[in-house]
Amino acid sequence: MAQDSGTRTLISPAQLRRGPGRALYWTLLTVVIIGFTLVFLGPLYWMVTGALKSGQEIAQTPPTLFPQDPQWRNYADAWHNLALAKLLFNTFYYAAGAVLFQLVLDTAAAYSLSKLRPIFGNAILGLMLATLMIPAMVLIVPQYVTVIDLPILHISLLDSPFAIWLPLVANAFNIFLLKRFFDSIPEDLMAAALMDGASALRTLWSIILPMSRPILGVVSIFAVTAVWKDFLWPKLVMPSPETRTVSVGIYAFAGGTPMNVVIAASVIAAIPTVVIFLIFQRNIMSGLTTGGLKG
Amino acid sequence: MAITSAPAASRVTGRPAPPPAGSPRTGPGRKVRDNLTGHAFLIGAVLCFAVFSWYPMVRGVVMSFQRTRRGETTWVGWDNYLRILDDPSFWTAWQNTFYFTALALVLGYAVPFFVAILLNEFRHARGYLRILVYLPVMLPPASALFLFKFYAYDPSDAGLFNAILKALGLPTSQWMQSPEMTMPAMVIASTWMNMGSAVLIYLAALQNIPGELYEAAELDGAGIWRRIVHVTIPQTRLILALLAMLQIVATMQLFIEPLILANGAGAEDSATSVAYLIYQHGFFQNDLNGAAALGVIMLVVLAGFSAVYLRLTAKQD
Amino acid sequence: MSVPQYRKAAALALVAGLGISLTACSTKSGDPQNDASGKVTITVDCQPVGAQKELLANWNEDVAEFQRQNTDIVIKSVSVGEQCNNPPDFTARLAGGTVTDVFYGYMTDLAQVLDSGQAMDIGEYANAETIPTWDSVDPALKEVFTDGGKLYAVPVKNYSMGLVYNKVLFQQAGLDVNNPPKTWPEVREAAKKISALGNGIAGYAEYSAGNTGGWHFTALLYSQGGQVLTEDGSKAAFNSPQGRQVLQNLKDMRYGDDSMGDRQLLQWGDLLTNAGAGKVGMFVGAPDTTQAIVSQFQGKFEDWAMGPLPGQDGAAKGTLGGGEGYFFKKGLTPEQVKAGLKWIAYQKLTPGKGQFDYARAKPQNYPVGLPQPLLFTNGSDAQKQELELRKTNANVDTTNFAVFEANPVPIKGEPRNAQAIYAVLDAVMSGVLTNPNANLDALLKTAEDKVNQLLAAQS
Repeated sequence: MAQDSGTRTLISPAQLRRGPGRALYWTLLTVVIIGFTLVFLGPLYWMVTGALKSGQEIAQTPPTLFPQDPQWRNYADAWHNLALAKLLFNTFYYAAGAVLFQLVLDTAAAYSLSKLRPIFGNAILGLMLATLMIPAMVLIVPQYVTVIDLPILHISLLDSPFAIWLPLVANAFNIFLLKRFFDSIPEDLMAAALMDGASALRTLWSIILPMSRPILGVVSIFAVTAVWKDFLWPKLVMPSPETRTVSVGIYAFAGGTPMNVVIAASVIAAIPTVVIFLIFQRNIMSGLTTGGLKG
Repeated sequence: MAITSAPAASRVTGRPAPPPAGSPRTGPGRKVRDNLTGHAFLIGAVLCFAVFSWYPMVRGVVMSFQRTRRGETTWVGWDNYLRILDDPSFWTAWQNTFYFTALALVLGYAVPFFVAILLNEFRHARGYLRILVYLPVMLPPASALFLFKFYAYDPSDAGLFNAILKALGLPTSQWMQSPEMTMPAMVIASTWMNMGSAVLIYLAALQNIPGELYEAAELDGAGIWRRIVHVTIPQTRLILALLAMLQIVATMQLFIEPLILANGAGAEDSATSVAYLIYQHGFFQNDLNGAAALGVIMLVVLAGFSAVYLRLTAKQD
Repeated sequence: MSVPQYRKAAALALVAGLGISLTACSTKSGDPQNDASGKVTITVDCQPVGAQKELLANWNEDVAEFQRQNTDIVIKSVSVGEQCNNPPDFTARLAGGTVTDVFYGYMTDLAQVLDSGQAMDIGEYANAETIPTWDSVDPALKEVFTDGGKLYAVPVKNYSMGLVYNKVLFQQAGLDVNNPPKTWPEVREAAKKISALGNGIAGYAEYSAGNTGGWHFTALLYSQGGQVLTEDGSKAAFNSPQGRQVLQNLKDMRYGDDSMGDRQLLQWGDLLTNAGAGKVGMFVGAPDTTQAIVSQFQGKFEDWAMGPLPGQDGAAKGTLGGGEGYFFKKGLTPEQVKAGLKWIAYQKLTPGKGQFDYARAKPQNYPVGLPQPLLFTNGSDAQKQELELRKTNANVDTTNFAVFEANPVPIKGEPRNAQAIYAVLDAVMSGVLTNPNANLDALLKTAEDKVNQLLAAQS
């Protein structure tokens, strides 16, 4: 980290220590801290307290800073009417499965492309990378008709978590990240292991994977975020109220619900991820910053 | 470009070296078996690509030349394309989408970069500031958008933004109900909820810039702005270019923002996006074939973008 | 383990893993055929959702009672959300083939259902044997679900739109609660008085998003005697003096009097949410919107009354009607079709049972006495029975709907290609409701061009 090692950045540390620079630094820092708190935490405060206001109070001009008569009922209603527990469970279940499928299948593929390099491997990689240029929206219709009647097998994946898990495995970006990482692992290590008679699987398991924790972390974060942020796809392939994700559930629910309750549901839905994020933020941040993308 | 990180912190240069000569993996029989092993590891991912990516791509093109009526599918040539091009909302949707993409490049693209530069200079409260910026990413997208829709963009004076504007003595806005404000309002919401990821990626890139470069520039008498232009930007050029492309692809798929903030089309169609039009055709108007054609058109447009992008980045190298 | 075996195992595991995962998800309830015990199983959608507690309890009670009476039939209920038919979800279910054996749809969905190839002809099964009240069901409604002489659905609800108004707000504004406005100028006057109450109350509220704006434009246009399309359905016909009058009325209320509230771009749930919160004086809707206001939007049905749709200088020249029915999925066995018809007959078409079980509904927080669902021909036995039951069990002041019932307005259906046209007309509605300087003629002209273009491309 820069502040620890004292790495030189845009502005020299010396300049910041000098009189005017120092004053400017502290002024700017204060302004930024206050500004960012207002911009990023402010709306969240508004959300949490807004959900406590009555319909009357919401329509009041100017808006009130604190709820005058907190309506805790809004939160209770949101929890019960929306079956939020079920929605949250679904979302985490899909996210966990997505991580598992991507870690297993994408890692295996990247390992093969990087180290085993079978015949046509490069052609396959090329075809995979070509999909990076195809946005999800282009595929949404044909992908949907494919999922409702899989070729050859003729089964429908609607309302099945596989409809979320398997398409996510087809993620060229993750395979590319993993492959580049594996490429950087010296070939000698592989060769030595093979000399010892280790199989490809064992080499992957006991040599490659232990060295790849940061990149596996990054892929996991991307997998979770993809499930968490996706909307139209789960809306289409998880049509039943019992299988919906949080985002889709809140949207479906919003059509027939007082807005304070919708916001209350949004707050509750956000709590688990925010808590998880705060607990693991050090790992997530360092994973994202050191493991993933470098310019 | 180096989208990677080596375990031993060594920078990756290119393709890996071929297996050392004299390795035990030689001989024709071995070769076949090795290939089989290699493909065995690949098969899971390849199947997923085949079923959920390559096949749908082909199927999308095929569907765009077919029409299903009364349970029967027939070839109709370019009919779907003609119908889509004749859809009165087609050009509006493209105009809106391009406008959003352009605005998002100014706001959603430049802002995170400068925020990252700023955050990288601070020696205090770094963790706190980073968490703040990343916090909105943690909200389910629908939640974040409902927050904007109900509270921030409320067109009456009870709305948060209008209350602030009013307190500052500025004119209030109708936000999503004003065709002029629809797109800027959607970009603001979208940037707020998504910028955290971009900031973190930029921060990582910034930390990789060797400090000596700044020192040298400073010795040459370069001010802060010139140091940004001559050191920071060139040093992060590749990641900047990559994110620009990713951002264009992402913003062209604008969907949930109009769906939630504008209930679909918005005031006088000012929020209709190409993605929303695909949804309208496919799932409101029972026209999956038309939607498939629209998807193919979108792909062609993006391929054009990619070509220009590759041309530009190739020139710079 | 030797090396090659190890590899083979790995490969097998991968392939098998994927294979298993693919088959594991085909756990959709298998073909609901007659099982070993000789029972017939059918799946039926539109079960109320958990939040609609009493409605759900009633439904489940009906299922239990029906199965007790018909021990050879098993009903599997499926809930598809708060709104049984949300157009994009319904289309997705049709395309996906995930509709239930017996599935709910709007009258206007017939063409779409036929296009999907999902519905079967039930003409030979629907008769007085399977549905005892079949001969009392209004033939016009059966006709709506008939195509090329084949019957595809059983009508279960029929309604027409009128002016729904909040009596409490009427009272507060000093208006006569038993004498709702009968013309649009009177609506405007009343709206002005109601919005003068302040507190963010809209005197009159209207839709302008999510295709509902176009839907209501159609209703308002009918009230003026206008048409959406020409007789042969080939051209737009709403760019007319009647269409212009619709917009002028809205513009006068929205910007002349500021009596329609600040928040626009409303769609179905948004308006009813505001109505439930007591923020809407009047809106156009069918009688059952008051049910929705009560069951979903925390409103009170005592507060609501209904008059006929207003006209410009007298009674409305027409109103928008609609209805619902149950379709039957292609490929059902004759036994399944008969079982489905029996269930619908029991739950939807028998006075005193199911949706007509007014004795049960009376003590519940659920309105009885609404002039709905208008399924039976006037004067038929079933209609008389139903009316009798409704009167004895009414828990709403039937005078609330007396004006609506006493002044029937000619009913017209939705235009061909309704959803695509509504999407275009949404822009007209959002234009007039969000732009103080909207040019009404230009809005109509643009929409006319768009609809003509659309119709030309569709033909």
